[in-house]
Amino acid sequence: MALTGLQIYKLLPKTNCKECGVPTCLAFAMKLATKSAELSACPYVTEEAKNELEAASAPPVRLVSIGADGRKIEVGNETVLYRHDKTFYHQPGLVVRVKDTQSADEIKAVADAVCGYCVERVGLSLNVDGVAIENASGDTSAFAKAIEVVGSNANVALVLMSSVPATLDTVMPMVADRRPLLYAADAGNWQAMAEVARKYKSPLAVKVDCGDLSALATLTEDITKAGVTDLMLDPGTRSMVDSLQAMTKIRRLALRKNFRPLGFPMISFPGEGASSPLEEVAAASQHIAKYGGVIVLDHFDPTLIYPLLTLRQNIYTDPQKPIQVKPDVYPIHEPDANSPLLITTNFSLTYFTVAGEVEASGVPAWLLIADSEGLSVLTAWAAGKFDAEKIKKAVQTSGILDKIAHKRLIIPGYVAGMSGEIEEELPGWEIRVGPREAVDLSSYLKSLRS
Amino acid sequence: MPVTVETPTEKWAGKVREITLGATAAEGGTRTSTVTVGGEGTMPFLHFEGETPHRPVVAIEIYDIAPQDWSPILMDYWGDVVNDVVAWAKKAVELGADAIALTLRGAHPEVNDRSPEDSARVVKDVLAAVGVPLIVYGPGAPDKDNEVLVAVAEATAGERLALGLCEQNNYRTIAAACMGSGHIAVARAPIDVNIQKQLNILISDMGLPLDRILMDPTTGALGYGLEYTYSVMERLRLAALQGDAMTQQPMICTAGHEAWRAKESKVGEGVPEAWGDWKERGIAWETVTATSLIEAGADILVMRHPEAVAIVKKTIDQLVAK
Amino acid sequence: MSRRIAAAAIRGAHQVVAQAEQEIQAALEKFGPDKPVAFPSTGYYLPTVYGLTGHAIEKLSDVRVTLDHAKSLLAPEPSEALWLPYLGPALDAGMATLFAEELIEGVRSLNGGWPASTNNGAKYNGPIDDPQMRAWGIQLVDGRMPGFAAIVGTAKSNEVAVKIVRELQSRGILVLLASGSPERGKKTIVDQLMEEGVEMGYGTYIVPFGPDTISAVHALGFATRSAISFGGLKPGQGEDILLYNKYRVFAFVLALGEVDDIKYATAAGAVSYGFPVIADTNIPNIFPNGLTIYEAVVRMPFDDIPGADDLERAEKLVQRCIEVRGVKIRISKVPIPVSYGPAFEGERVRREQLRAEFGGRRSSCFEFLRMRDTSEIEDGKITLVGQDMDSVDQGGALDLGIVVEVAGRKMQTDFEPVLERHIHHFINGAEGVQHMGQRDIAWIRVANAAYDKGFRVKHLGEIIRARILSEFSAIVDKVQVTLYTEKDDVQEWIKVAREAFRERNERVASLTDDSVDVFYSCALCQSFAPNHICVVSPERLGLCGSENWLDCKAAYEIYPTGPNRPIEKKGLIDAEKGEWESINQFVYANTNQSVERVTMYSMMDAPMTSCGCFECIVMMIPEANGVMVVSREDPSMTPAGMTFSTLAGMAGGGVQAPGVMGIGKYFLGSRKFLATEGGLKRVVWMSSVLKESMQEELQAAAEREGIPDLLDKIADEGVATTVEELLPFLEEKGHPALTMDPLF
Repeated sequence: MALTGLQIYKLLPKTNCKECGVPTCLAFAMKLATKSAELSACPYVTEEAKNELEAASAPPVRLVSIGADGRKIEVGNETVLYRHDKTFYHQPGLVVRVKDTQSADEIKAVADAVCGYCVERVGLSLNVDGVAIENASGDTSAFAKAIEVVGSNANVALVLMSSVPATLDTVMPMVADRRPLLYAADAGNWQAMAEVARKYKSPLAVKVDCGDLSALATLTEDITKAGVTDLMLDPGTRSMVDSLQAMTKIRRLALRKNFRPLGFPMISFPGEGASSPLEEVAAASQHIAKYGGVIVLDHFDPTLIYPLLTLRQNIYTDPQKPIQVKPDVYPIHEPDANSPLLITTNFSLTYFTVAGEVEASGVPAWLLIADSEGLSVLTAWAAGKFDAEKIKKAVQTSGILDKIAHKRLIIPGYVAGMSGEIEEELPGWEIRVGPREAVDLSSYLKSLRS
Repeated sequence: MPVTVETPTEKWAGKVREITLGATAAEGGTRTSTVTVGGEGTMPFLHFEGETPHRPVVAIEIYDIAPQDWSPILMDYWGDVVNDVVAWAKKAVELGADAIALTLRGAHPEVNDRSPEDSARVVKDVLAAVGVPLIVYGPGAPDKDNEVLVAVAEATAGERLALGLCEQNNYRTIAAACMGSGHIAVARAPIDVNIQKQLNILISDMGLPLDRILMDPTTGALGYGLEYTYSVMERLRLAALQGDAMTQQPMICTAGHEAWRAKESKVGEGVPEAWGDWKERGIAWETVTATSLIEAGADILVMRHPEAVAIVKKTIDQLVAK
Repeated sequence: MSRRIAAAAIRGAHQVVAQAEQEIQAALEKFGPDKPVAFPSTGYYLPTVYGLTGHAIEKLSDVRVTLDHAKSLLAPEPSEALWLPYLGPALDAGMATLFAEELIEGVRSLNGGWPASTNNGAKYNGPIDDPQMRAWGIQLVDGRMPGFAAIVGTAKSNEVAVKIVRELQSRGILVLLASGSPERGKKTIVDQLMEEGVEMGYGTYIVPFGPDTISAVHALGFATRSAISFGGLKPGQGEDILLYNKYRVFAFVLALGEVDDIKYATAAGAVSYGFPVIADTNIPNIFPNGLTIYEAVVRMPFDDIPGADDLERAEKLVQRCIEVRGVKIRISKVPIPVSYGPAFEGERVRREQLRAEFGGRRSSCFEFLRMRDTSEIEDGKITLVGQDMDSVDQGGALDLGIVVEVAGRKMQTDFEPVLERHIHHFINGAEGVQHMGQRDIAWIRVANAAYDKGFRVKHLGEIIRARILSEFSAIVDKVQVTLYTEKDDVQEWIKVAREAFRERNERVASLTDDSVDVFYSCALCQSFAPNHICVVSPERLGLCGSENWLDCKAAYEIYPTGPNRPIEKKGLIDAEKGEWESINQFVYANTNQSVERVTMYSMMDAPMTSCGCFECIVMMIPEANGVMVVSREDPSMTPAGMTFSTLAGMAGGGVQAPGVMGIGKYFLGSRKFLATEGGLKRVVWMSSVLKESMQEELQAAAEREGIPDLLDKIADEGVATTVEELLPFLEEKGHPALTMDPLF
């Protein structure tokens, strides 16, 4: 059970020294409670308090990071089973697997593509996180070669896949500073694997067969005792339904039972149960929604990656902090100076719905998005984030005035109540009241034309 | 030291209601196959915890007229059959539709303004041509929806169609038509658990039995609000399992309509190279939208592209396998 | 049930059953036992018999079973001497009558059938066919058709007959006609309408069944079939069919003229369907008895109805029928000469556009809504007392008093202010009309354009009536509006209104948490804060400031399935903190099982959660042993080291965080504000905007606490934005919090 801000406050020095960067100890305590500050920022906390706080605040799913500067995958620290309960914090890393049996050119092509891939969506750049290199040949030098090809030109997180500890020990010096994930320790090799991981301070994946969670927990207990604590779990399930059940069990045990042996992020291989790239996408989308940590794909194709990155962005959006679209003028169907001008708020869902309906109407129009701090029309209006003044500002500063030759603005039906006020803020403008629901926009816009 | 892990099972007080679409001759209709959904006693597909007696199903959406605003990818795939609703329905069944979702777009006052009687005839024609159950949507203009669906309900009494959409501001007439002719109402709420619940209550208060109400939580496509739908569906399913009788309706999602409205599936030119191949992208967009909704608890997926349908059906095969 | 009615019903039943027996015998002789018997275009055989008993009559020989059944229901007529319960026998007689009547009509179908022409050209329709039954059935279910009226007999005059039917039609009520009353001339109501050229038929929603009372059974056949069709019931589920009609079909019988034995007998059958009987002659009343929702039989002797003339009496008769059955009328369009809709709500009427205004600086204007008994007002009566706008100069002003009187079986005086507050946006919906203020500071401006289209003072009344009936039909049945424009009237009424406003204020002030048994929940914000629920009590309004206990109560009456639900206070755990078992259970069940306990009056132990819409945040200042209150409108830094928006992140989202809590600002003046922690005395810092806007309430609370200068001791952002600045101020002022018990 997480401590409340008040409980944490009792353990702090209560000096308001401000050295942690927060003005009061209570404010700092509240930030600790919401996990938006680190206890280490307080220079005066007593050892005793520290132990008590750390015991209580250790995350049920350990935060594990792969990679160094460049691209880094950080997963774990999750606190809920359902995103609506709070949010999912650390999105899974998407990595693409190459095998050392492929030609250097092939490997290089994939690594380049992964490294260079970037797509913009609602103001954020979405990237693929890394490359997994599998020692499929069984040959150490081939493996080293492949690692070299990937490592030399790709600033991405790495997963090194080999079941032979000695092989990994041989190649690790090449990339140890990049903190790759080692895959994988199993019941047969775990001592030696743990030794390699400890030696290079690398995170280590732990693997069992077919969802045997007891075996998995036994292994992680042993490996933790051997001094390696940055672990990732592969329950060994490959079909969608087995993965779903195993991964759900692991997450539940960690969160609901605070079961430390399974309190680690997971690694999964959606391509291994799939018979086509599209099936792999379907399985990968399950892993994104249902608790995946590192997802190893067997195909790299922008067509298939882009939907997965979008899904990841969707699922890992904080439900209480809605995505905002950029306040701007959005032309739809190549509008001209006489096309109608509509305004609405920058809550992403509002924007998508309104833009979608205007698009569907086929009527060229200008859509002006005002900055409502991501709130929907009614909420923004109620909170004073979408009032006559804000609308005036949007009209005057967005650049729309250079694009149109009229002074008619269509406002959402739900804020009809402020049409008079807007007319006062924008003298000479005609304020028209559009429909309340976006679905009625099409007929509304058509009626304007006729 | 071997560690033993106990299976973390949740005990649920409730389960999703079972609903059967379509009626065979013995049941007063003419369907040769029916579809039963619902009955789940667990969060999706956790077979260790509760049963999933019926698999989610896929309905393929067709229009009564050639669609004007569909993505060229879809239009190319279907080809000429879009001009002949009967042929289209037959082809959809051949391509794996468990049910047909027929949208009577032609009845829209701004499209062909087809009369309620003629629209009902179209539905009869489709019923005559295929044996699977039908979901029938009105044209999407509230007053006309009511007129058209009343006529359809009358003309197809006993077929146990699903008729939609019943929405907060317009549900009474369609619900009444369902009551009078033995059909199922599709109740759509705007991504809101409480409004959904309220709508279910209002419709059942009118006298439509709860085993004839499907809920449509409103679908947001991948990248266009999917996460809202996803979470509302999880919340509805959790509430149902916790025993809230008014959230125990099976869920229907219009994944195809929404996914193919997205710019990603609709537009092929002038888009970033990182978006990849247009055709495959559209199919992937619909696939990911649909499979994500299945993971959130969808019982019926209304879809458009048969290649996406095939993947989604395979996914369902995998998920229901024990 | 009155003995007289019971006796008459039983006598009538004997007559009808005997008649049926005779006619069946004759038919058997004429056609033989295998002759098919059926009503036209129906799949329900003889529907009343089929529905209520499950017996499908297909040919003449099948009728015997039903006839015997009817006979078995007949009791002997109660004697003068015998004083026993006769409700049962009378109802049985009613059933027997309906069965026998349907058999007679069945035989009649063999002898000519329908439509049957009469000598004056009217066409008797006989039973309603299935397609029409289904079309109207849908309208009955979805509410487009509020109900139906079965009229038997003859109206006092042709004029009255037409008026009654027109009144019903104008409300969308289906009119079914049968029979006549010999003492009112040798004609039936159908003849009367025929003579007056009233068109009858499916198209006009007026269906003449036949010339005698027996044909009135088709009204019940219609009701029976629609229950089977739309209620999902099976033939033979008699009781369910009757109950379906009682609760869902708003029909009534209007008996015009003398009620003879057969009419009594048929009416007894209708009463079993929950359809009350209203007679315009002097028969015994039967008060609510469980069969019908309200009264079962109501007498309203026509000439005794108050009214200027027969037409007005007819209008009132219809109004009474509607009340007795509880028929809900919907008004789809506001009847005014300008456009109406939410799109016009924000419109302003500027000086150069102004035709006339009421209120503002140049005249007085008030609006006042009160509840009356249903007998005291007349629905739809809109009266202007005094001059209209025409007499005002261009751009001039006029006094105006708007007195709205409402009645409804579920109306309560507590809802008066809730309804009254809606007048503002109701009136604003009219194009070219602007409304501001409320109560006795209302201000209405009418534009030239609206005036030119014909908008006048009485249209304000039309708007108010139409909107109240459409939005508050759950609690209001009748609306009457009187508009006063003479100075003296306005001054006189304004006194009445102010007295009522004063009483209301007192009522709100006297409402305490201890004086009520029920609190209300508000789940409005669960769309974005799924694990949050508000509990609203008389002394703790919703944290958004827009929902008080009365609002929630009214909202629940109006939309029982909406976001506000009652929570009974049960299982007191801690009176000081305000914790009840029942509230904990409700909160747990309605927050996705995430909040297990909630106290109403503490911020340190299980405080109520917040969605994020709070007007203010209360946050502990441990150094001062007190709390601060920061307003949403205050952007400055606070002694807690955080601004409102940073604090909001901690207080919102449905997370229980002791030491921080979101509230509505009026809670600050409540006796229950931080009751556990010492109330207003705990407040050491408050945004100045709150101090100013809440001056009156806070001062009252300070005096209640016995520290009249408390407000001066509370710091604000002008004095302190850090704890270091705050403490010396508190010391200097001698703030009580410094010496109170430790907060935690």
